[in-house]
Amino acid sequence: MQFTASKQTENCLLGPESDSQRTLYPYVTGTSVVALKYKDGILMAADMGGSYGSTLRYKSVERMKPIGKHSLLGASGEISDFQEILKYLDELILYDNMWDDGNSLGPKEVHNYLTRVMYNRRNKFNPLWNSLVLGGVKRGEKYLGTVSMIGVNFEDNHVATGFGNHLARPILRQEWHENLSFEDGVKLLEKCMRVLLYRDRSAINKLQIAKITEEGVTISQPYSLKTYWEFSAFENPTQGAVGSW
Amino acid sequence: MFRNQYDTDVTTWSPAGRLFQVEYAMEAVKQGSAAIGLRSKTHVVLGCVNKANSELSSHQKKIFKVDDHIGVAIAGLTADGRVLSRYMRNECINYSFTYESPLPVGRLVVQLADKAQVCTQRSWKRPYGVGLLVAGLDESGAHLYYNCPSGNYFEYQAFAIGSRSQAAKTYLERRFESFRDASRDDLVKDALMAIRETLQGETLKSSVCTVAVVGVGEPFHILDQGTVQQMIDAFEIVAEQEGPAAEPDADAGQEASAEPEPEQGAAAGEGVAPMDI
Repeated sequence: MQFTASKQTENCLLGPESDSQRTLYPYVTGTSVVALKYKDGILMAADMGGSYGSTLRYKSVERMKPIGKHSLLGASGEISDFQEILKYLDELILYDNMWDDGNSLGPKEVHNYLTRVMYNRRNKFNPLWNSLVLGGVKRGEKYLGTVSMIGVNFEDNHVATGFGNHLARPILRQEWHENLSFEDGVKLLEKCMRVLLYRDRSAINKLQIAKITEEGVTISQPYSLKTYWEFSAFENPTQGAVGSW
Repeated sequence: MFRNQYDTDVTTWSPAGRLFQVEYAMEAVKQGSAAIGLRSKTHVVLGCVNKANSELSSHQKKIFKVDDHIGVAIAGLTADGRVLSRYMRNECINYSFTYESPLPVGRLVVQLADKAQVCTQRSWKRPYGVGLLVAGLDESGAHLYYNCPSGNYFEYQAFAIGSRSQAAKTYLERRFESFRDASRDDLVKDALMAIRETLQGETLKSSVCTVAVVGVGEPFHILDQGTVQQMIDAFEIVAEQEGPAAEPDADAGQEASAEPEPEQGAAAGEGVAPMDI
């Protein structure tokens, strides 16, 4: 019989599970998700990249998924944890449908359920390493909210995760207004995604835009944004560089 | 119902395929003081007869608020009713906490019924001896359910349980078609009329009954005695004006009820027995 040195003595706070059972750091991650409310519902955009550290390893990761009849979930952070969340939600929606009684879980309910899940995991020092964006429409009411890996949650007219908070939100604060048309909403989202593409190292030029309205969810085919690199400063980048020796 | 050799255990079937203990539990409901419920498209009203044991004691609480959108009236073993109300309140508050949304009353009622069923299939338990009239609102509108000790539940437009509830049921059967589109106040008046039927001649006063309302834009609450007495006074006067108090169709706009035929015809020609006058 083999006895392995127990790690329990080092850190009694964490209970009987050994460290290999807790999330310590993320491995395959997705970058920003940006979303806004528009006239008919919610528009959400995310690129299709799954980074493995600084390597852009996977380039066809769908980071937005429909949930039930009324909601759309976008995630950044650890992709495997996102898949786990989708499993939980699948079960939740299944049991909701099985009641078959004319009641259904709307985006507000799903958002709150996710908040509870994320916060409880955080309390056990075993977080789901994601920042989630939950949008939807139910009975004409538009809903857009976000939950972080530590359980911080709120609703707003436009939300973003990760770098999106720093690069996209300021643009949205200036240019978002009530009752955007679909075309204007997409243009605004593309503007945000373009900035993220230029400035976020983990962004790739392959994105999807999803829309959710009373009728349902549509997720576009992947496409890329036009970018401009012909700035004169890029022609001879080392010209003005000062050497250090 | 007479004693027999199959009625000792809830887990014993009789040769006729009956569980006598469950049926005895339903008898307990019939012995409790009356409770009635009726609903329209947007409101549900619950009422019950509240007889105190003596003048010195207080009334027993038979109507419970379960959540802002759900309330329950009980008849039978009120202690069992209290415990089940606590369970219902717990379920509602847990759902609200997780989903920030009110628990649909239809789902609560199924959970309650499943809980009652368990007690009909364990040898170390007994069925709950209380019938519950659950009134609530959800996405699909206003609902009234009746939960039995047997673990069955039914949805009703109007119903009455407890002792002398048959008189109230007869009244409700005659009038239920008008309930769907009735105003909130008319619904409360109908509830008070139905309670009066169960009192069999005793004067209807706010001290012997309790009335509660829940509706769209109106959280569940028990009406205070003053309001109830006012409503009683309002329609008792109208009843006197109608002549002999034989048929208490006292609402404004109802034709004089000398002929019960047109109303029975309206009641889907089901052959409802005319009320004994």
